[in-house]
Amino acid sequence: MKRILFVGLTAVLLASFVLSACGTPATEVPATEAPTSAPVATVAPTEAPTAVPFVGEKMQAPDCNFGGNLKAVEAVDQSTVKFTFCAPEPAFIAKVGSVEAFNIYDSDYLKETGGDATKINENPVGTGPYIVKEWVRGDHITFVPNPTYFGTNKPANSTFILKWNKEAAARLLDLQAGNVSGIAEVTADDLPTIEADPNLQLAPRKINNFLYLGINNTYPPFDNEKVRQAFAMLIDKQKIVDDFYAPGSVPATQFVPPGVKPGYTDGYVDTTYDVAKAVEMLKAENFDFNKEYTLSYAERTRPYFPQPTKIAQAVQAQLAEAGIKVKLSMEEWATYLPATRNGDKELFFLGWSEDYPDATNWYDVFLTGSSKAFGNAFPDIVERIQKAAQSGDPVERQKLYDEVNKLYAQHVPTIVIAHGTVNQAYLASVQNVKIGPYNENFDLMSTSDGTLIFSQDGEPVSLQCADETDGNSFRACNLLFSKLYKFTTTSIAEPDLAEQCVGNTDATEWTCTLKKGVVFSNGATLDANDVVASFSAGYDYNSPLRKGNSGAYQYFKDLFGPKVLNQPAE
Amino acid sequence: MIQFLIRRLILVLPVLLGILLVTFTITRLVPGDPCYVMLGEHATQASCNEFKARFGLDKSIPEQFVRYVFNIMHGDFGNSLKDRRPITLIISERLPMTIELAFLAMLFASIFGVILGVVSALNRNSATDTFTMLFANMGVSMPVFWLGLLLAYFFALVLKGTPFALPPSGRLSATMSLVPLTKVWGITDATGLKAFLLAMLSNSAIMNGLLTHNFALVGDAVKHLILPAVAVGTISLAIVARTTRSALLEVLGQDYIRTARAKGLPYALVVRKHALRNALIPIVTIIGIQTGALLSGAVLTETIFSLPGVGSRMVEAILGRDYPVVQGFSVVIALIFVFTNLIVDASYAYLDPRVRVK
Repeated sequence: MKRILFVGLTAVLLASFVLSACGTPATEVPATEAPTSAPVATVAPTEAPTAVPFVGEKMQAPDCNFGGNLKAVEAVDQSTVKFTFCAPEPAFIAKVGSVEAFNIYDSDYLKETGGDATKINENPVGTGPYIVKEWVRGDHITFVPNPTYFGTNKPANSTFILKWNKEAAARLLDLQAGNVSGIAEVTADDLPTIEADPNLQLAPRKINNFLYLGINNTYPPFDNEKVRQAFAMLIDKQKIVDDFYAPGSVPATQFVPPGVKPGYTDGYVDTTYDVAKAVEMLKAENFDFNKEYTLSYAERTRPYFPQPTKIAQAVQAQLAEAGIKVKLSMEEWATYLPATRNGDKELFFLGWSEDYPDATNWYDVFLTGSSKAFGNAFPDIVERIQKAAQSGDPVERQKLYDEVNKLYAQHVPTIVIAHGTVNQAYLASVQNVKIGPYNENFDLMSTSDGTLIFSQDGEPVSLQCADETDGNSFRACNLLFSKLYKFTTTSIAEPDLAEQCVGNTDATEWTCTLKKGVVFSNGATLDANDVVASFSAGYDYNSPLRKGNSGAYQYFKDLFGPKVLNQPAE
Repeated sequence: MIQFLIRRLILVLPVLLGILLVTFTITRLVPGDPCYVMLGEHATQASCNEFKARFGLDKSIPEQFVRYVFNIMHGDFGNSLKDRRPITLIISERLPMTIELAFLAMLFASIFGVILGVVSALNRNSATDTFTMLFANMGVSMPVFWLGLLLAYFFALVLKGTPFALPPSGRLSATMSLVPLTKVWGITDATGLKAFLLAMLSNSAIMNGLLTHNFALVGDAVKHLILPAVAVGTISLAIVARTTRSALLEVLGQDYIRTARAKGLPYALVVRKHALRNALIPIVTIIGIQTGALLSGAVLTETIFSLPGVGSRMVEAILGRDYPVVQGFSVVIALIFVFTNLIVDASYAYLDPRVRVK
């Protein structure tokens, strides 16, 4: 009996080995693809020459009832593309110029790959200043200048290497040892070391962001406006900034940072830090000082939240000065974010770094009731925000936002705390370091040996940035692809693939004229159909070019949604 | 012996099934949502519902498990939720680096650990013994991230510009690259297990360099592994040293050692042939356990030195709720432990004739 069992088990074992060895092709290991490497660009044109008449393509919604704002994208002729919106879209240029999700791809290349991130990673084809030479998984990506790049300034370095190291201290060691030329996300603790080292230079990145103390107004006693107002008086923002933020950071005085215009109200006076008055107000509202309230946060360092635990403890201590008992609850990001979004937290810390320089990327994201995190939205605020978002007149928008800022101080949906400065560091020998708000302009930087090595805090997820949301992927994509507009060293958009984009009077139609003679790294010439295909891939749920990575194409929904074309009902 | 090995191999099957069941259940029971990690602050409930449907996470857990086991039976470990790359491909990229690191670390720990243990045992209760065991205790108690940063600081900054300077992080210098062996050898039809093994060899910088006679690559890879191997190997070294000392002391007190000495054998020969060989069983056991642990990934060391190994990817996958990666890597780690233990057991038979007789 034992013998039969023994023989039987041996047969099962052998059979499982055979089955494993004869795995399905889908899981075969493409040994030749590790590391992935892209061939140097060839200049064999793959698109039809001018002899073939141009047939313009179009992505169009039958009406505006699908739940999104982008109604149509149409190739009017070879170099003209028209965007039609259901409601005014005054921030169109800011949106398509800053977010890497709106990169333009060669339409034939998209058809070839189906927009599949795994295929695009192997051989990314773009119009940016660089192409990928090799991607050594887990270690680095090497970029070399794109010989077909259309920009007037070719990259100032002959090789750009993107590396990653999760640990800030290890990144700094790499920089000090001269193994890399620059590093991202310098921590506040490392600033004195960098400032004291003559071989290094600090480069602040001026991107608008904020940290806020979220309040869910469906939880008593936070459903009481007076209680929320009192809490706003109990946070000593200046002290928190002085103690935990890098130089250049400022306390938040109103909902948006000073750089957001229209939006920021000049001369606005913030709620004063006043413990005595706050306690008086709380007593008047019969606030329960014996109850323990839970303040949640995730230990996830961000430019706006540089030292999560220490900042949470500081706020806890400040509230304790008024006799308020607060219990801190540190959670994992994977559980924390869904819980806050689901409205499960009464008090919590979260923050935001802007995607594009427009007030809609602030007010509309947080104050229009799109998330359950803050409880119920305030109709008077929502009404003004929606009006401002659809107005093309900056003066009228500012007037509306001024009113919103006042109402924000009255209703206190959240308590904004600080705007953090993001710092990078470079070797002093790196020339022409000009960091912009949305990218580093690596193509402008030069080193004595022509090789620039930059270390960030993580590996890019993919190079199909239409379907990504993380900064590490965006940094790589920014080198490979181009958008209709771009931001370099300032918050002012400059034409990139477009000569210009012109809006009609109510900003519901934007007509973009493309630059002529722009060639992709595979030799294909840019035309209006490429723009239509790139937007269809992200915006049309039924597009065969929409394989992507996670398949969410989140920025298309966030910036031109909330729903996209043909998106099935939930 | 062969029957013993086959029997142990067969036992791998229920172990693997158990591992699959446990990791599958635990990953699904742990709260958290992969979608919110992938999409970050931009995630919405609607996007997450789509995400789950796309990756089959909206199906019932038993259905997901049956499908998963069925796919594994066909050699398909699934794709990562993070970047949709096949798990087998990720394993073939990550495991070689971990094997290289574990091998070098254990080489360092075994050689110096046994030497220190022997020296300590032979000089029992002397200053040498005290100093050696103090060193061993320090080795065990030193946090690896602290030691790692200290080593990196010393060898990369203090010794910067000298021939002894070593890179503080990374797997290879930026100018080095790994050329796939399929390309070097012109193999175009590699599939299945053959492709996997070729990818493993290609992604092992040391093996790749040796097989393609690119000795600059071998040198560069070893140079990058010295500091991590010392950092992670120090703890193992201390454990091996302490085990060697106690095992050797126990054997040295046995009657047959006295007999050997009484017969007039030189002390060095008695220690080497009679004492050390008999003390080897616990030492081999501890080396085996340490090797298994290192092969399953030295998370902190890989993170500090930015090495793309199994441990750092596993932790990233756990935090990101990347279920297929956690499950696939768990199976690999379980297999590593099973086979390491198998080798250790087999070595008992070689070291101790009584085991062979039994």
